[in-house]
Amino acid sequence: MSVQKSWSELQTMARACRIVVEALDALEAAAVPGVSTKEMDRIAREHIERAGARPAFLGYRGYPATLCISVNEEVVHGIPGPRKLREGDVVGLDLGCIVDGFFGDAARTVAVGRAGECAHRLMKVTRESLLAGIDVCRPGKRVGDIGHAVQTHAEGHGYSVVREFVGHGIGTSLHEEPQVPNYGPPGRRERLVPGMCLAIEPMVNVGGPEVEVLSDGWTAITRDRSLSAHFELSVAVTPFGPWILSEPYPYEQAEAANA
Amino acid sequence: MPEAGRETLEVEGTVREALPNALFRVELAAGARTAVTAHVAGESSLLRLRPGDPVVVEIAPYDAGRGRIVRRR
Repeated sequence: MSVQKSWSELQTMARACRIVVEALDALEAAAVPGVSTKEMDRIAREHIERAGARPAFLGYRGYPATLCISVNEEVVHGIPGPRKLREGDVVGLDLGCIVDGFFGDAARTVAVGRAGECAHRLMKVTRESLLAGIDVCRPGKRVGDIGHAVQTHAEGHGYSVVREFVGHGIGTSLHEEPQVPNYGPPGRRERLVPGMCLAIEPMVNVGGPEVEVLSDGWTAITRDRSLSAHFELSVAVTPFGPWILSEPYPYEQAEAANA
Repeated sequence: MPEAGRETLEVEGTVREALPNALFRVELAAGARTAVTAHVAGESSLLRLRPGDPVVVEIAPYDAGRGRIVRRR
């Protein structure tokens, strides 16, 4: 059972999530040919610290950086280093921060310079899969409904969904109960209740769903070396529906009408 | 940052013994554990398993001694 957050706790979560998304905006703008992944990590860290937050990934289970940066066939957990981004690369940017003890976590995949149509289609479908998953975050639905919505959308476009890594509850730690797989039958797993916060994060491959982890213990790549994309947002379940925590609270009017 | 999922493993085995309460002792074809106590997954045709029947067992990583017979093979 995941912890239900109070209204004021959700406000703090929202602050954390907004800082992450603003940093992702800056990173997206900085992802040009020639920039090293290490440099991207520095930008991420500076942005988070300037906003008065702390990096959430740095030191998490020994992870050595602020940013996870996963290029092309890398799925998630790519460690920043000397590698330079090149024109046409598809780059997953995954970032988290801590504000007053609460975690924000988000990711997106961007193209460096001009990428092929195949890459843009993958990114578009992965993002849509995330939004399809978010849309079912309503009280009474179940965690399995989220995975089912994500999987149906991604596989409907001929892609595959990674099984080995899953979304998660989020709050006073980075990974809380419940796990949120991006696949599986609807109507199963935990029931969604208001105040629950979930990080939903489809990882979608052009080829097969299998991944392997490199010898650095972190970097996950597609086994068939096909292109992979990853989008993530932290979402709160409210009585009115999903609240993407990095965006303004969308139900002011609904609440007023209800009162 | 995605979390490593707690995946179940599917392994092949052979029924060695029928136990009470629709449990079976299943010998595994490979792996560190050689045998698990397994219950059947729903399907009633699985209840009529006999010693020697080849099956596929699902094992949760946090209790490697127990399994769930998913299907015949």
